[in-house]
Amino acid sequence: MERPHSPYFRYTGPGQLTAKEATLAPKSGGGRALERIRRFLFGRRLASEEEVTERLPKKLALPIFSSDAISSSAYAPDEILIALFAGGAIALQYSVEIALAIAVMLAIVTTSYRQVCRAYPSGGGAYAVAKENLGQIFGLIAAGALMIDYVMTVAVSTTSAVAQAYSVWPVIYDWRIEIGIASIALITIGNLRGLRESGNIFALPTYLFLGLSLLLVGLGVARALTGQLPSPPVPPQVPLPGAEALTLFLLLRAFAGGSVALTGVEAIANGVPAFKPPEARNAANTMTIMAILLGILFVGFMFIADSMGLRPATAGGGPTAIAQLGTAIFGDGSPLFVALQVATALILFLAVNTSFNAFPRLAAILAGDGYMPRQFSFRGDRLAFSYGIVILAAVAGLLIVVFQGDTHLLIPLYSVGVFVCFTLSQVGMVRHWITSREPGRRWRAAVNAIGGLLTFVVLMVVVSVKFEGGAWLVVVLVPLLVALMLFIHRQYATSRRELALRPGQIITRPHREERVVVPINGVSRAVVQAINVGRSISDDVRAVLVSDDPNETAEVRAAWERAIPDVPLVVVESPYRALTGPLVAYLDVLDWAWPPDKDAPITFVVIPEYVPRHWWERMLYNQSTNQLRRALLGRPNTVITNVPYRREEPAMFEAASDDHSRGRPMPPPSPPSTTLPRP
Amino acid sequence: MSEAQSPAFRRAVVALNGGSSDSRIVRLVAGEARQAKAEVVAVHVLEIDWTLPLDADIAGNSDEVQRVLDSAEAIAEAYKVQLQPVLLQARDVGAAIVDEAVERGADLLVVGLTYRKRFGGEFAIGRTIPYILQNAPCAVWVVRDPIS
Repeated sequence: MERPHSPYFRYTGPGQLTAKEATLAPKSGGGRALERIRRFLFGRRLASEEEVTERLPKKLALPIFSSDAISSSAYAPDEILIALFAGGAIALQYSVEIALAIAVMLAIVTTSYRQVCRAYPSGGGAYAVAKENLGQIFGLIAAGALMIDYVMTVAVSTTSAVAQAYSVWPVIYDWRIEIGIASIALITIGNLRGLRESGNIFALPTYLFLGLSLLLVGLGVARALTGQLPSPPVPPQVPLPGAEALTLFLLLRAFAGGSVALTGVEAIANGVPAFKPPEARNAANTMTIMAILLGILFVGFMFIADSMGLRPATAGGGPTAIAQLGTAIFGDGSPLFVALQVATALILFLAVNTSFNAFPRLAAILAGDGYMPRQFSFRGDRLAFSYGIVILAAVAGLLIVVFQGDTHLLIPLYSVGVFVCFTLSQVGMVRHWITSREPGRRWRAAVNAIGGLLTFVVLMVVVSVKFEGGAWLVVVLVPLLVALMLFIHRQYATSRRELALRPGQIITRPHREERVVVPINGVSRAVVQAINVGRSISDDVRAVLVSDDPNETAEVRAAWERAIPDVPLVVVESPYRALTGPLVAYLDVLDWAWPPDKDAPITFVVIPEYVPRHWWERMLYNQSTNQLRRALLGRPNTVITNVPYRREEPAMFEAASDDHSRGRPMPPPSPPSTTLPRP
Repeated sequence: MSEAQSPAFRRAVVALNGGSSDSRIVRLVAGEARQAKAEVVAVHVLEIDWTLPLDADIAGNSDEVQRVLDSAEAIAEAYKVQLQPVLLQARDVGAAIVDEAVERGADLLVVGLTYRKRFGGEFAIGRTIPYILQNAPCAVWVVRDPIS
């Protein structure tokens, strides 16, 4: 037996079909060529059931979820040193104290987030926690801040990774923007292909970076204690406008700059469900290990930098702080130094990839909740949230271009969003514990309250000291994003309300009358086909010719009455040469002329359309058709029907005409008058 | 090694009856076919009684009949094995399956044996399986339903 559905569909239940991949196969030659390119770039399409969900052991979860946080230690030291350098050598002596203050903050934030892991085993992103405990607006503020945070992670980590590379090979400095954009493009393609963050390969860069950095810290501290540290390689400097006085503001600015070390700490709390059971405990313990490692690296780097009197590279193209440390401890150009720089660049790219996983997922959740356009929740051919991935890449790429690939210029935009999330998450957790009945809720609430208070203070510090440097942009953007999300939500809610059926409503057959109007430009096969479609809809069919040429009108009328005598032709003369306006006005007049005691009829505007065979033919045909369609879209009681005429159809047309000429019965003549009714 | 123990085959015909054993035997054969890089032909035969002409479109109008083969195809796809679905209308199921195995040059024919739980439980061996066992041109696997 023939199974005609078989190539395209599969029966999966009574009255239920499942589409096969063949339904998506392009039919034109150009489409097939594009498909081949798409397959080469992004791989074959994946079905929904091919999605893989994995549980990670701690030894894999640590590198995968911690890359964002640990990689911050690659650029945070530069921020402290650059801020302090403005105050001269005396100010630089405070670098270790500032690093210790940030480490204390890290400990407090980590302790607070351990609570989040336990309270939200299904994943406690700042959005989820704030929305559930503080309400919609705070949830959206957290979401807006998170989105900015993810975009900034991509931009900052990419520029920093490129900076690690030009610290080793200065010749690539002039190409930093192009390299950054190319890197983002590669990661974008990888993610559109459905690159997962859970592969073993992603653990390697983190462990490599950790191993080499711990070795560097160990050797550096040992040499510092024994007084064997070499003098630092002096990076190229730009002349400073004059040393600033050592003020509290300067120290706070350094603290605010270094606080980027805390970015990415929340990643583990967001990904609790990915851990092996017991999920919450494993996630909390992994977070502690991550914080200890980050603290050791960060304070260790700053201690060695302080001990050797390291100066930051304030001029473009200079080596990063970690590169200078590597040169001093491992030796310039040594394999260990090169390996350290490569590992640093790799872990930074891994942090970029973390954002490429998190941003689209957050956008999809927001889209699911109705706060973002629905397309953000659609999965692409490779099960990735393609829209989110592309938007993230585009915005981050734009930032790299605008800020000339300079990490230091991007940083002021970074920490604000992160600390907004920290604060909202912690305050949300305080509310959670207050309403919960779990044992130990009081001290847990106290831990989160301290965390929330401190992160709020840091947020205020970061905003005030970095406001002019670019933090103002985030302060403006977050409310704008919240307003935009609220607007989208209201739009969706309104349309849902308008489209909803009343509960228990049973739909009966319509009893409204139907009429058909076919706009024509002459007598052609396409027009005849449209008229025939119109006849299948209703007996009330009329053709309308809008024309500015009386001679042409007479010719068309004569041809019409000869070829299709049973369908009335209405000619609308248009002395101002417009097509759409007079036709729409004609439809309005038809509506006004309808008896007021009867339900308004449905007007089918059947538009004949010539289907071009080649892409370039599209410019030659259907321009006025498109204009008309746009004008009629949304008109009440009006249905627009396109009747495409393909050039391959003449044979069919001829056959139909032959049948017709051999005496097939014609449909009954249409009743309406051909004159315009009076309004 | 006896014929039934040997997993190697080039082309297997799997007879599906629309029952609970179908998915089990398709999984079994698909698993083996993947290793052996063999072809699988899934045959579902609709028995047409003598009151209807043999070419009456019974199968074409039934979602359920199509679903039997489509489900098998989905299982095979999950195993990354190419499965060719064949829908037949015949007067006798056993003869149609054997004919198909001959026509396709199959070296393995797989049928499921249903276990009926009513009246203390028994295997519904019927007429089809004995016919296949006696007339098949190749090795035959009879895969029984679990008794529990």
